[in-house]
Amino acid sequence: MAALPKRIIKETERLAREPVPGINAVPHEDNLRYFDVSIHGPQGSPYEGGIFKLELFLPDDYPMTPPKIRFLTKIYYPNIDKLGRICLDVLKSNWSPALQIRTILLSIQALLGAPNPDDPLAPDVAKRWKEDQEGAIATAKEWTRTHAMT
Amino acid sequence: MSFAESEGPPTKKRRFFTEKPDILDSSLGAEPSLPDEIDAFPTAAAVEPYQPNGFDLSIPGTGTPSNNKEPQSDDHDHIPGFDSETFDSFVGDKVSPDVLKQLREASGDNLERAVNMYFDGSWKKKAAAVSTGSIGGGTAPKAMTINSFARSGTSGGHENNGMHEEAESPPIEVSLNNTMPEYRYVGAFGVGAWATRSGTTLLKHGESVRIERQKIQPPKPTVGKGKGRPAVTPLKPNSAAAKRVDVIVRFTNPKGEEVGRLPRETANWVSTLIDQKVCRFEGTCVYAPERIRTNDTIFLQLRCSLLRTAFDNRGFKPSDNRKTGIFEEKESSEEKDLRLRQVALVKLFEEVNLLPSRTSETTAKYKREGLLQAAEVAEQYENSKPKKSNSAENVGSSPPSAEEVEEGKELEQDQLDTLYKKAQSFDFNAQAAEPAETFAMDLRHYQKQALHWMMSKEKDEKDESKEVSMHPLWEEYAWPARDMEDKDLPQVKDQANFYVNPYSGELSLKFPVQEQHCLGGILADEMGLGKTIEMMSLIHSHKSDVGMRLDGASSLLQSVNSLPRLPAASANVERAPCTTLVVAPMSLLAQWQSEAENASKDGTMRSMVYYGNEKTANLQALCCEANAASAPNVIITSYGVVLSEFNQVAARNGDRATHGGLFSLNYFRIILDEAHHIKNRLSKTAKACYELDAEHRWVLTGTPIVNRLEDLFSLVRFLRVEPWSNFSFWKTFITMPFESKDFMRALDVVQTVLEPLVLRRTKDMKTPTGEALVPLPPKSVDIVDIGLSKPEREVYDHIFNRAKRTFAANVEAGTVLKAYTSIFAQILRLRQSCCHPILTRNQNLVADEEDAAEVADAASGLADDMDLQSLIERFTAVTDDAADANVFGAHVLAQIRDESDNECPICSEEPMIEQTVTGCWHSACKKCLLDYINHQTDKGELPRCFSCREIINTRDIFEVVKDEGHPDTKWSLQRLGSNSSAKIGALMAHLKALRNEHAGTKSVVFSQFTSFLSLIEPALTRAAIPFLRLDGSMAQKARAAVLTEFAASKKGVVLLLSLRAGGVGLNLTMAKRVFMMDPWWSFAVEAQAIDRVHRMGQTDEVKVYRFIVKESVEERMLKIQDRKKFIASSLGMMSDEEKKLQRIEDIKQLLS
Repeated sequence: MAALPKRIIKETERLAREPVPGINAVPHEDNLRYFDVSIHGPQGSPYEGGIFKLELFLPDDYPMTPPKIRFLTKIYYPNIDKLGRICLDVLKSNWSPALQIRTILLSIQALLGAPNPDDPLAPDVAKRWKEDQEGAIATAKEWTRTHAMT
Repeated sequence: MSFAESEGPPTKKRRFFTEKPDILDSSLGAEPSLPDEIDAFPTAAAVEPYQPNGFDLSIPGTGTPSNNKEPQSDDHDHIPGFDSETFDSFVGDKVSPDVLKQLREASGDNLERAVNMYFDGSWKKKAAAVSTGSIGGGTAPKAMTINSFARSGTSGGHENNGMHEEAESPPIEVSLNNTMPEYRYVGAFGVGAWATRSGTTLLKHGESVRIERQKIQPPKPTVGKGKGRPAVTPLKPNSAAAKRVDVIVRFTNPKGEEVGRLPRETANWVSTLIDQKVCRFEGTCVYAPERIRTNDTIFLQLRCSLLRTAFDNRGFKPSDNRKTGIFEEKESSEEKDLRLRQVALVKLFEEVNLLPSRTSETTAKYKREGLLQAAEVAEQYENSKPKKSNSAENVGSSPPSAEEVEEGKELEQDQLDTLYKKAQSFDFNAQAAEPAETFAMDLRHYQKQALHWMMSKEKDEKDESKEVSMHPLWEEYAWPARDMEDKDLPQVKDQANFYVNPYSGELSLKFPVQEQHCLGGILADEMGLGKTIEMMSLIHSHKSDVGMRLDGASSLLQSVNSLPRLPAASANVERAPCTTLVVAPMSLLAQWQSEAENASKDGTMRSMVYYGNEKTANLQALCCEANAASAPNVIITSYGVVLSEFNQVAARNGDRATHGGLFSLNYFRIILDEAHHIKNRLSKTAKACYELDAEHRWVLTGTPIVNRLEDLFSLVRFLRVEPWSNFSFWKTFITMPFESKDFMRALDVVQTVLEPLVLRRTKDMKTPTGEALVPLPPKSVDIVDIGLSKPEREVYDHIFNRAKRTFAANVEAGTVLKAYTSIFAQILRLRQSCCHPILTRNQNLVADEEDAAEVADAASGLADDMDLQSLIERFTAVTDDAADANVFGAHVLAQIRDESDNECPICSEEPMIEQTVTGCWHSACKKCLLDYINHQTDKGELPRCFSCREIINTRDIFEVVKDEGHPDTKWSLQRLGSNSSAKIGALMAHLKALRNEHAGTKSVVFSQFTSFLSLIEPALTRAAIPFLRLDGSMAQKARAAVLTEFAASKKGVVLLLSLRAGGVGLNLTMAKRVFMMDPWWSFAVEAQAIDRVHRMGQTDEVKVYRFIVKESVEERMLKIQDRKKFIASSLGMMSDEEKKLQRIEDIKQLLS
């Protein structure tokens, strides 16, 4: 594997030195572009109390292209599909090389607090969210308890 | 063999040359046994008194022996007259007074003629006719008469055996140091002659036979011309009649009746030897039929003796061409005679089987073979009709046509290497000389050795440790001690040998020493060894008598001497005893002047650049002997000035004096720097330089031979090294053997020419102790691969494909040569597009390629090529609207400044590399920003700011330029031109890195395209890198100023140099980095440019970067560079046609 760009090294160091509250990202020892990430569910959201595991991978042309991120922990959320893929503009068209792992993870944490059923990735979840928001939130809490709190 | 054609009308001939037939007749009677004794002539005392008489008789009033080489006349001036005793002893018989009287009448009291007449019996019949004839024909060819007479005098005594003793003891050897008998036996050979008449008892075995010549001859040359040479009758080369009949050699029996002729192949050369008074032949009949019928074979033995006269004409006359100067040499009749003689002598030695006892080692093994080849060629020439004479050009037998002389064969690289290797056998133990005290610099040891060598050359001191060596072109032969009948031959004291120059047919009794009369030479040290300094030390250390006196007289007389005086006689060329004239290429004038000053203690050197406006001075008045005290010690001028003044003087019909310029003086010394400027001896510049007068003549060049032997000739001609400065001589001994594939011999001869003349050391020479001659700091040459940007590649591909198509089409149609210009221009475009696409649109191309390109443009309609136009347009956007950051407001500036220390948001470099801002003032590294923009456009998206997602206008990207030269760092924004090129980008990156790592390091940037330099300039300006520029379009003064500034500057200045203007001579050792922006066809040219920096005086490691575009024509050019042949064409040495063929080969490779 090619030498790790300075930028990745710096980001990794910085994540370790100045960790973001509620977010933890640690690179794999055998692949420094591959990170194990955990995000605490934001307060006041159905995901509060849960710790969600994600995987993050920095492609070769990072930071020209965005990192690839997916939830490993099952989550009931209109913008995250069954496979854990996330619908987030900064991970796609709105990516900018000025963004970093840290900022992206913060965005994801914020996203959990503000679901957007109008731009769904999981259509059934989005539909329920629109038609029966309370039921949906209850299911989300339920899922958080079952999957994110063990 | 045509009998008919040899039937010339003999009587008619006799009318013009009365004496000659007579003389020949007189020797007719010589008995075969006699010459044995006659050879002993030097001891024949009895003959002595008669000789002078005969001499005086035949040349009344001419007492100067030097003219005729009959030195006896020195001792005997007594009355010319018809002394009967003399006559008797000549004819070797007592003649009755009656007969004597008749003879006197018939001969008009001419003893010689009388002797002749006595022997041929003609006095009886044609007394009257002869006496009238003698008036008309007797006066002109005096020398000839003398020689013939002398011969007839000694040989005429055949009837009297008592003559033998007389003939054996002439006191000539006593009175003359270097004399030999009138003739001396060298050998004998047999020949089967043929009879031209029938009859009985015409000739018997053992009878002596007289060998005689009759031929049609043009009118005799004037007396003057006969001087100092045998009175050879020049053959009219164009007279076909003369050519056909002029070799007939008849033989007559003792009664004087013609019996027959020698066979043609023998007669061919025997006739030459007789005509040119080289040899005498005495025949003896070995066998003849009793009844001879026409065409019978008669066997003769010919006894050959070399005549003394043959040895008299030593040396070549200085060639006249030097004086006539402007005219091309043609082979004169003299030269032709010489050639015939050369061939004849070789044949003679072959027939009599005489081998040299000593030849020059180096040439010995090639000589014979080569000479016989020459003989063959010469024979061919003999046989060819005049109209065909051009076919024999390679032996120089006909006037060289203009074309031929211009060509001359090229040396292959390995031959050149061999030659140089030989010329470089430098003796490290050679003596060294200390420079004069006025010389202000320290010389290295080898430079002191050069000084010693040069001083000894100028003072013509013979290096005594050196053995006197025989001139390499000569061979030594021992005189035979026994004749063909094994009888002892008398020997001459101190004359056991004679010497033959088989190349020219010259003979000599004296040991031919290899001499050099040239009081100068060729200083051919390799570039960077300090030729200029060596020369300066010579100027200080060896001065003329006048110069020495002035130094001694010191200041006492200075006040008087310094008053300018008018030269005494301004009508002549004045001596300039204290002045050295330096002729150098224009770009080096300033350097010479500064070196002259640096090398001299204060006040000891007056130098003057004679160029441009300074030319108003009257040099003659300034430098003549009368003003020697104030005359400039060194005048520095350019080849151009020499040429233009030469033309002016020529326009005044050669009136050098009143012109008052360079040609009005005879300098103490002339130095031609970079003397390969005159390598073409036909060029006007070369001819002009030949005409400069000086006591000492020097040429400086790193390459005395660029690629053909004639290059060296021009130098030798300038140096006036005899006899090599005669082109015919040169041609015969060097060009001809070389062209007839006898390289080694030619090169050996060249080496012998070079050896005493040339001092050459190379940089990689090692002293015996293994040290380098000049320890130079290391040098590294790296090739920097350049990847073209996408738009650049598009332009390149476009041009490449078109060139390939054109070429393929032309190959198919067989019109490659015709379309050469167009194809070549397209290659040029390709090379330019590697540098910068805009270049392909630039009109200011390299001079010699410009026309071709324009023609090709017109031909291919390139100008209307919209496709390419649009591709290139991207590069022609507005360039230099340098923007001051202040224009954009303080907050912008503040933001940029603040961000400048931040890390790059994209790559996290800290600080940013080449901070660049977007139109929305967000900063990143230049590369990161551009990469990101490319990344987006590649995906077909509009580029947006990485920070605020504003759409980025690619023209609104600015590089932040910090000019650290100012006390407060000055900030400015420089619009990032999309008009830059990959190469410029790479250069800028290198220069910026250099500035960061080694601030203050100077660099030199070479390109062959001056227009490319013009594109680099704004890039340097943008990056606030100080630069200077020097190219061919600049005036001398401006160049000097640039060089001075470059040397003086304390900053890391970049010098932009055009490969052509800067490739030669300049000293740029203050720079430590060299950037070669584009490859040239031969690396030698680039190497020379690099050596401007990496040369003596360089103190640091030199790093050279060659920018080569990957996967392009440039890469292939590197491969071509490896091919040796291309060196020649790139230096402009090949004919246009050759060049084209060569390059087409290369183009094939380039477009493959």
